[in-house]
Amino acid sequence: MAQVIGGFGVSHSPSMGYEYDKGIAGKFDPRWKIWFDGLQPVKWWLAEARPDQIVIVYNDHLNHFTFDAYPTFALGVADEFPQADEGFGLRPFPSLAGDTQFGWHVVNYLVRHEFDLTICEDMKIDHGIYSWLPYVTAPPWPAPVLPLAVNMVRHPIPTSNRLRKLGEAIRGAIASYPGNARVAVIATGGMSHQISGARFGMANEEWDRYFLAHLTDDLDKLVAIPQEEIMRIGGTEASELALWFAMRGALSAKARHVYDFYTFPQITGCGVIVLDEAAR
Amino acid sequence: MTVPKPDHSLEPPSSFVYTGPMSTRGRNINRFSLSLKQPENRKSFLADPDAYMTRFNLSDTEKALVRARDWSGLLAGGGHLQAILKIAAALGQNLWHIGAHNAEIPVDEMIAACPRRVGGLPEGV
Repeated sequence: MAQVIGGFGVSHSPSMGYEYDKGIAGKFDPRWKIWFDGLQPVKWWLAEARPDQIVIVYNDHLNHFTFDAYPTFALGVADEFPQADEGFGLRPFPSLAGDTQFGWHVVNYLVRHEFDLTICEDMKIDHGIYSWLPYVTAPPWPAPVLPLAVNMVRHPIPTSNRLRKLGEAIRGAIASYPGNARVAVIATGGMSHQISGARFGMANEEWDRYFLAHLTDDLDKLVAIPQEEIMRIGGTEASELALWFAMRGALSAKARHVYDFYTFPQITGCGVIVLDEAAR
Repeated sequence: MTVPKPDHSLEPPSSFVYTGPMSTRGRNINRFSLSLKQPENRKSFLADPDAYMTRFNLSDTEKALVRARDWSGLLAGGGHLQAILKIAAALGQNLWHIGAHNAEIPVDEMIAACPRRVGGLPEGV
């Protein structure tokens, strides 16, 4: 059967993508060069982990979905996931590849285990994935992706515990997939940030570092924190950190921390944590 | 002018926590805003803003908010930040303009003030 080999949690933001393109063209803003350098070990980890499939739990920002129909959980099952134009034009990156056989297996498992997702055969992907992806790998993308979009733009959003359980169900889906595929599970969102209101631009490094320090071994403690509390001290969009619980839930209790990094370039806390299932 | 340190409030004007009722209120604003992701729609909007907004059933008040680049007013009217951002982009503005308008400070001061550092952990940890 397939196996979860590890995964990581990582921040995303539109400026992360924009600053990457500027940086690669030769003009890295020093604040973003710190993030670029900090993600190099993640790039090395991913190359060495050689995943055959990558599950990514992320959130769309009204770039594919609109409020005409906004799913709480949506899974993309298609051969290809194009990049979404967010209103500023497309960035110079190819579409993501998908593996429908693996996708339908995960759909079957999740729905039969009481996660009734919306299935999308057309799903355009915004900066939720494209902003950090080029920092940790390069085209041609190393493995097919299974994108799972979670509503983080309109309350109520799923509870932290629900996202942990979603991760556990994803683990079950992978463990029951015939063959011997190596699967990485990635989650992306947050960390502290708020992009509207008078608190625009707030940054809480103390909280973000606390989160990184406790995600590996104190999941119960983090999941128990009311989401409103996280929004109060970390900004309204820090609620996206709940997505990281899906990644942690998809990994075993004995997954070990191999790397983390944190910096705050401008208006979003940029952090990453890598967990690996391989024995020490 | 000193940019104040962000407080811990989830209430306006500090924060706009986006909810279902706001979504209902902002339905026309959001549909109009998100249409602007398409380049051809941006062109139609810029060519005749009033006619384009009428197509999306915006009220006179909502149209006036757009014309005034009143980002705070549009958010209070139920517009979602991610949607309002598309209007700003079409008009040559960006997230910084929205944030600065929300905090009632000039854009360059907002850029200089970020990240606006606070501390603190959630209660009970």
